[in-house]
Amino acid sequence: MKLLGAIVLAAIYGFLLAPLLVVVLASLTAGELMQFPPQGLSLKWFARFFANDGFIEALTLSLRVAVVSTVVATLVGGLAALCHRALSRRHAAWFRLMLLLPLLLPELLTGIGLLFLLASIGLGKSLLGLQIGHIVITLPFAFVAIAASLEQVDPALEDASASLGASDWHTMRHVLLPLVKAGALMGALFAFVTSFDMFTLSFLLKPIGGDTLPLALFNYLTYDFDPTAAAAATVSIALALAGVWAIDRTVGLRRVY
Amino acid sequence: MRRRGRLLLGVPALLILLAFLVLPYVDMVTMSLRAPGSGVAYGAGFTLGNFRHALGDPLYLGALARSLTLGGIVAALCLLLSYPVAWHLAHVSERWHLLFYSCIVSPLLVGVLVRNFGWMIILAVNGPLNKALLATGLIAMPLRLMFTEGVVILALVHVFVPFMVLPITNALRNTDPALAEASASLGASRLRTFWRVTLPLSFPGVQAALVLVFVLASSAYVTPALLGGATVALLPSLIVDQLIGAFAWPFGAALALVLAAGMLLVVVAFAMLTRPLAERTSAEPAR
Repeated sequence: MKLLGAIVLAAIYGFLLAPLLVVVLASLTAGELMQFPPQGLSLKWFARFFANDGFIEALTLSLRVAVVSTVVATLVGGLAALCHRALSRRHAAWFRLMLLLPLLLPELLTGIGLLFLLASIGLGKSLLGLQIGHIVITLPFAFVAIAASLEQVDPALEDASASLGASDWHTMRHVLLPLVKAGALMGALFAFVTSFDMFTLSFLLKPIGGDTLPLALFNYLTYDFDPTAAAAATVSIALALAGVWAIDRTVGLRRVY
Repeated sequence: MRRRGRLLLGVPALLILLAFLVLPYVDMVTMSLRAPGSGVAYGAGFTLGNFRHALGDPLYLGALARSLTLGGIVAALCLLLSYPVAWHLAHVSERWHLLFYSCIVSPLLVGVLVRNFGWMIILAVNGPLNKALLATGLIAMPLRLMFTEGVVILALVHVFVPFMVLPITNALRNTDPALAEASASLGASRLRTFWRVTLPLSFPGVQAALVLVFVLASSAYVTPALLGGATVALLPSLIVDQLIGAFAWPFGAALALVLAAGMLLVVVAFAMLTRPLAERTSAEPAR
C-alpha cells in the first residue's frame, strides 16, 4: 500500500516536471532536429537564438515590459496590502476579492475588454496599452505575497513602535518593511515571471510590429520547429531560476514559505 | 483608529482596477450591442443582432458546449492528480517540505507556452514516448498524438495541477489532525476516516479549486491553438478569430459574453449541486 502510494506520487511529480526537463535537454542538442534525447551536446542553438534579431528584439521588449510591471505592481500592491491590514475584517474580504479579480477572471476576457477600452482612449495597439494590461494582471501576485507576509507580523510590534513615539510612516518603513522583505521579493518574482510569460493578453494587445518573447516563440513553433525554440524556452526558464536563486541569496528561500 | 491614513494607500490599486479592469468589462457589454461595421471595427447604432447571430448558429453553440465540457474534464482530472499530491504535501516532514513544494511551484514560474512546448517534443511522432512504446512492442506503428483533443486535455491538466494542489494543501493543513485521530480511535477504517472526515473537511478548498480550474481551462486560448491544431473548434479561438482576423468587434464581444455566461451557469449549477456537501463541512464544530 505504501509502495503503491509512492509510485503514484512519483508518477505525478514526474508528469509535472518532465516537459520542463525535456525542453532544456532538447535545447542542448548538437543535431539539427528538435528531439529528445538530444544527439550529442552543444550550445550552438543558444548561439543561433542570440544571433536571431527577431528573438532578441522580442526578448528586449519582454524584459522591458516585465521590469516596469514588476516595479509598479510591487509598489501599488504593497501599498494595497498595507491598506488591507488596516481595514476591518468584512471590508478587508471585499478589498482582497477586488484585488484578486485579475487573477480570477479569464485572461482572455480581460484582454478583450482592454482591447476595446484602450482603442476608445487612443491607446489601441500601443506599447503603453500593453504595459497597462500587464500591470493589471500582475498586481494580484504582488498583493497576495505581501499581504500574506504582513499577516505573519504580530500587531504588537506596531503598537510597541507607536508607543515609543514613532510616526506611522516610521513604523511602516522601519518595522513592517524589513519584516515583509522576503514576501515582497517573492511577489515581485511572480509578477515578473507572469508578465514575462504572458501570452493571451499580449496577443490581443500587442503593439504593431512589437512581439514579446512568448509571441515570437509561438510563431516560431508554428512555422519553424527547430531547437532554436527550445533555446528560447530555456532562456526563459533560466531567467526564472536566476530570480529564485537571487531571492535565496538575499533573504533565503526558507524565510519565504 | 490611529492608522486611518493607511486606508488611503489602497487608492492607487483601486483606481487602476476600476479604470483598466471594471471599465473594460463594461466596454465589452457596450461593444456587444453595437452594429457591425464594414472596414471598421464597429458601426453606428445599437442592435441585439449579435446575440441573435451567436445563439442562433449551431457552430458557436457547439463550440461553447465543447469548451465547457473540456473545462469540466480538465478540472476533474486535475482533482484526481492533485488530491494525492496535496495530501502528501500537507503531511510531509518539515525537512522535505521545501523540496516537494518547489516541485509544485516551479512549473508556475515557467510560461504556459513553454510547458505546452515540452509536450510537443514528448508526443512527437518520433518523440521519446513513441520510441519507448515501439521498443516495448506495445505498438507496431508510431502513434499520431499531436493535434488531438486528448493532447489539449493532457497539456491543460499539466498547466492547472499546481493551481489545484496549493488551495487543497492549505485546506488539509488547516484541518485539525485530532479529528481524523478521533475517527480512527472510534474504530473507523482508514478509508472510512478519509471518506467521512478528511475529504469533507477539505471540501471548501476542493470546491474553490475546481471552479477556478474550470473557468481558466474553458477559456484557455493558447494551448488549444498550439496543440489542438485546426481539428478542435473551441469557443475562445472562434472569438479571437472574430476580433483579430475578421475585425468584427461587436460580434466577438457578444461571443465573449456568451462564453462568460456559459461558464457562470455551470459554476452556479455546480455550487448549488455541491451545497449539501459544503454545508456538511461548515456544520462541523469550529476548532
